[in-house]
Amino acid sequence: MVKIKYLIIAFLIVMVGILATFLFFPSEEKKVKKKFALLSEHMSKDPGENTFIMANKIKGISALFGENCNFTVSDYSLSGNYTREEISGIALRGRAHFSNLGLKFYDLKVSFPEKDLAQVNLTARLTGRSVYGEHVDETRELMCLLKKVERKWLFSSFEVIEVLKR
Amino acid sequence: MNRGALGKVRQFFFPPLTMGFFIRIFLIAITAYLFFSYICLPLQIKGNSMEPTYRSRGINFCWRLRYLFSKPKRHDVVVVRFAGTKVMLLKRVVGLEGERVEFRDGKLLVNGRPMEEPYVRHPCNWNLSPRKVDDNCVYVVGDNRSMPIENHYFGQASMERIMGGPIW
Repeated sequence: MVKIKYLIIAFLIVMVGILATFLFFPSEEKKVKKKFALLSEHMSKDPGENTFIMANKIKGISALFGENCNFTVSDYSLSGNYTREEISGIALRGRAHFSNLGLKFYDLKVSFPEKDLAQVNLTARLTGRSVYGEHVDETRELMCLLKKVERKWLFSSFEVIEVLKR
Repeated sequence: MNRGALGKVRQFFFPPLTMGFFIRIFLIAITAYLFFSYICLPLQIKGNSMEPTYRSRGINFCWRLRYLFSKPKRHDVVVVRFAGTKVMLLKRVVGLEGERVEFRDGKLLVNGRPMEEPYVRHPCNWNLSPRKVDDNCVYVVGDNRSMPIENHYFGQASMERIMGGPIW
């Protein structure tokens, strides 16, 4: 009877240990996905957002990117290589066009083709309303690269995949 | 209702919690999960690109087995995936591989011949130069062509992106 009690306690300790490992030591995949969750949170905008929140969000966006990030977008003139500061400026100007904005990511498939490099294929959906009252709902497939710099995953490339080719 | 019938009704709605009952519940849950995750995907339609055939906020299912043994035909409505199946597009096939698709004053032309499209109800003034549909691809467009051509998301989709068709 005593032995069974010890066995149950040991089993519970092992279970708590496994749970703690998952919670406090997330896998690299989870860390990468967390960056997308943060990008979504910082890009999103509620109506009547004040300057303090806006500044914090822009700072948060800037912290997610590496020194340089490459954008490949076929339909728009946005393609090019941008510094972290330029990305902050683009995000600031882009968000200013919207009274409310939501950016959500779906179907994230993370792979690690090289050490300290993550490749993520996903669907991005941008919804919101422009300051002129125009409803916006755009969905695109993206291929993103993140590099691990000083134990942090930072965005280094975004490419829009052409799903429907005109 | 007599006592026997009442007992049967009670047994149907509140069966005894036996091992057999739990096994049945488990099997039903697993089957439903597999069926609705891989064979018949529930869809909520958002947006007006397929109006009036499919209205925004409508509910439907994507039947994944629709094109298991055949290829999409012209005028079929298909479901096109992005990176996965969480967000997909509902579009109509207007051009098949090797054909030349074009819009002239809102009229669809395939290989230079005008096509009848009874499902297009809104006025359309699109103009698009002829383009050939690549191998293993179909050309898809929404039924609602009342918006400017720049604002409508359409074009050639690879067959591997066609996930199936809506059930109704």
